[in-house]
Amino acid sequence: MNISRMKGKVRAWFSKPANVILLVFLILLTVLTLYPLITMLLETVTVHLGREARLAKLPVGSKTLFHFARLFATSENKYSWITFYQPLLNTLAVSVSASAIAILFGGTVAFLVTRTNLKYKKFVSAVFTFPYIMPSWTLALFWETFFKNVMIGPKTSNGIMASVFGIYMPEWFVYGGFPIALVLGLHYAPFAYILIGGILRNMDANLEEAATILKTSRMRIIRKITLPIVRPAMLSTFLLVFASSMSAYSVPVFLGSPVRYYVLSTTMKSLMDSYKGQAYIVVAVMILFGVGILLLNQAVTNSRKQFTTVTGKSGQISKINLGKANRPIALLLVLILLLVAVVPLITFALESVIIKAGDYSLSNMTLDFWIGKDTTQWLDQGDSTGILLNPKVWSALGNSLGLAVTCSVVAGTCGILVGYGVSKRRGSKLASWVNNLSFFPYLMPSLAFGAIYLAMASGIPWLGGFLLMALAGSIKYLPFASRSGVNAMLQLSAEIEEAALITGVPWWKRMIRVIFPIQKSSFLSGYLLPMVSCMRELSLFVLIVPTSNWLLTTMLMQYSEKGWAQFGNAINLLIIIVVLIVNFTVNKLTGASIDKGVGG
Amino acid sequence: MRKLLSLLLALCLMLCAVSAFADVAADVEAGSAMSHDELLAKAKEETGKFVVAGNTSRIADAAEAFAALYGIETESNNMKDQEIYEKLESTTIDMVMIQDGANLLDYIDAGKLYNFVPAAVKDAIPENDQQPALIHQFINKLFIYNNKGDSVPAIKNVWEVTDPAMKGNVIFKNPTTEKVNMNFLVMLTSDAWAEKLAEAYKAWKGEDIELGEYKNAGYKWIAEFLANVTFIKSDTTIAEEVSQDTAAGKIGLFVLSKLRSSSVLTDNLTVAQYDATANGYTVAPFSGFMYPMYVMVPAAAKRPYTAMLFIEYLMSEEGFKPWGKNIGAYSSNPSIAPKEGDLGLDIWKANLVIEDPNYILDHIDVEDFITLYCQ
Repeated sequence: MNISRMKGKVRAWFSKPANVILLVFLILLTVLTLYPLITMLLETVTVHLGREARLAKLPVGSKTLFHFARLFATSENKYSWITFYQPLLNTLAVSVSASAIAILFGGTVAFLVTRTNLKYKKFVSAVFTFPYIMPSWTLALFWETFFKNVMIGPKTSNGIMASVFGIYMPEWFVYGGFPIALVLGLHYAPFAYILIGGILRNMDANLEEAATILKTSRMRIIRKITLPIVRPAMLSTFLLVFASSMSAYSVPVFLGSPVRYYVLSTTMKSLMDSYKGQAYIVVAVMILFGVGILLLNQAVTNSRKQFTTVTGKSGQISKINLGKANRPIALLLVLILLLVAVVPLITFALESVIIKAGDYSLSNMTLDFWIGKDTTQWLDQGDSTGILLNPKVWSALGNSLGLAVTCSVVAGTCGILVGYGVSKRRGSKLASWVNNLSFFPYLMPSLAFGAIYLAMASGIPWLGGFLLMALAGSIKYLPFASRSGVNAMLQLSAEIEEAALITGVPWWKRMIRVIFPIQKSSFLSGYLLPMVSCMRELSLFVLIVPTSNWLLTTMLMQYSEKGWAQFGNAINLLIIIVVLIVNFTVNKLTGASIDKGVGG
Repeated sequence: MRKLLSLLLALCLMLCAVSAFADVAADVEAGSAMSHDELLAKAKEETGKFVVAGNTSRIADAAEAFAALYGIETESNNMKDQEIYEKLESTTIDMVMIQDGANLLDYIDAGKLYNFVPAAVKDAIPENDQQPALIHQFINKLFIYNNKGDSVPAIKNVWEVTDPAMKGNVIFKNPTTEKVNMNFLVMLTSDAWAEKLAEAYKAWKGEDIELGEYKNAGYKWIAEFLANVTFIKSDTTIAEEVSQDTAAGKIGLFVLSKLRSSSVLTDNLTVAQYDATANGYTVAPFSGFMYPMYVMVPAAAKRPYTAMLFIEYLMSEEGFKPWGKNIGAYSSNPSIAPKEGDLGLDIWKANLVIEDPNYILDHIDVEDFITLYCQ
């Protein structure tokens, strides 16, 4: 009797698709995030072949705490200080400043666009997400080629600023912590714009109206009402940008290395070459920061209260009249956006056609790096044909697109399912576990995430190449999709599905015929963001890619490291163009957009 | 019972097949005694795509020519050493070209890479250059300076680049990111080089070297050299940057073959050793350094005989062309002369620091000292 009742209960529990989905994802996500984590931790106590085994004077494969002692407590030659503590401090400084810059810039623009009568709003909001769509090193590369001069760094040649305008910027402005933080801040400012802007746009107008009626000044309203309301969003932005900046690899390589400014991600990469054990310890430290951020975020936002900012009664908010300041502010903003989003593209185009660096005269230009049949006459190394005639480039483009589509389909679909499960079983422990697990990959630095998948795959012979990268990408981008999935599902009233349920429509049909069509644009945004992120991803794949020529981004990194500047710039431009085309095609065809994906 | 037996038999056969397949070591040994025709015949029996990986961009040209010559489908990959080691574990690579000799020794000891010396060139190549790994070519990184302006750093003694006045004017690739640069510096701390550096110091300053806290003259030179150095991320970029009209007074230590690119303004550059040879002096005690590129067969190779055929091809004049058509690459095969206008391998061996993998492996801790001065 009891047993059959139990059986019945179990059967009833499993008859609900939401339960099954949550259970499956609980297991799947545990395996795909915790298992690699454990294999990675094992690597931190294992002796690897090569210099590591020689230094430790231990047999290859044996277990030891040597790497920990070496990384954290070696005072000889200041080893620990220069390999760990100094880069850690630099990382923290850069990440905190980048977050502050992102919030300040993104938040201000969000305020101007949503709450004032600013001119050129359409242009501003269209171009503002550009820096996020473009690979982050885009701005870094641009920064260096634009501002370098003979007074600083290697002191050998002038960039556009010095050679054309005769302005020589100081070293701290061009290389080191400041430009790294600034470039990362600008790159992630769209986060702030979308998160803070979303709240400002949907904010309940009653609060401000009440204050206006009581004759409160504008400044006081902003200080006492607007700021407190956006504070949770500001904090979320801070933590997201912090986590992303911490794992940024290419920006510090381009802007830090010339002045010997190292951060955790760059030392981790160079440790990975000869001292894997220590490299994985650095990874563990980065992940600890990620977990800390997740806990902090939860504690402060009090179990993700951000869903409640949209109320049913939000009236038209009166917009602040900027008056005479309107045009100057608008023009300044447009100028900054042009500098951040459009000028880099022009620079890349220019740098990809000049033969000898620094000479921008027409006689020094050729289209051969794009369409030439024999480029060895200009740059006698690298490839012998222009990139558009190079089969390697086309196959890398195909691989990049294939990988991006795969990751976006897997992550996007999983995101919808997680969203369905979590929203149906809201409040249950299971739902909150799955929700948190699906968000966790976001907080693992991309480079670290790639590293732990590398560690995991080395023990599984059939796991490699495309499969490994697709798996890593799908899990890494799941948070984007699951967030938009959960948010979209929460907006859906239960009776919509119940109506179909009563008429006996099976679950999969309800999903395809009822739920998906209603929230189509939100869901598609959940597909778009992983796709765009994947197309321009470098850190995640740099360690697990079969060969550098396999993806466009790793190919670009290789070319750039080798110093094949023209090819590098051409490929960079190609990546940006492809990403922009994908983004706008999807946007025009389906109405999905990046803003919805990130902002929710 | 019969079923069980046949199953066991099948299993045995399969195991035999697998072990025979995996026994690249035996293949390499057999291949070492084979003539070109025998190797070719064996290689033709092998199936599947032939995959090579090397730390040189020119491997693509060599692989393409090889594929055309023998009608064997060949895929080439240009990877850094560490990438190659990484991929040895996870993907199939049939032949590798690797630079960092120190790591290589460990991989040979661990049985992950095998040395193969083609019978065709065995007698011609110096014994030192075929053990423990066959050297395909030597590559040199030289002091090369910008010859514009009033303060041309035409060095005759390497201590000149340690002069505080040269701070920021010396350009090098970060040794922590390129192991051959690290190896070069480690070699300087050996007794032999430290002694030569101490002599050179005396010749330069006119007084005996004062070591202070440094263990020997090698350490002192490294510290003072790195203090003056600015790092640039690639040798190609160093060549381009040092050659700029705006780069007067700069000196770089980079790969000679980078001068081949027309993005480099070669007229603005002078190679210290070329000038020394032309004018009959020496740069004391070295004018740069040289490191080998090794060719090896991985233990996991699926086409070992094709790999051996390819190595034989690379050691021939025809196979060396992709590198030999320019300056800065020197075949270990004495019958292949360097590019016209370049100096011979004997001159380079006499004037450059050459890495000794065993010394480097026994002195891994010196790398920490070097890393400290890279900060």
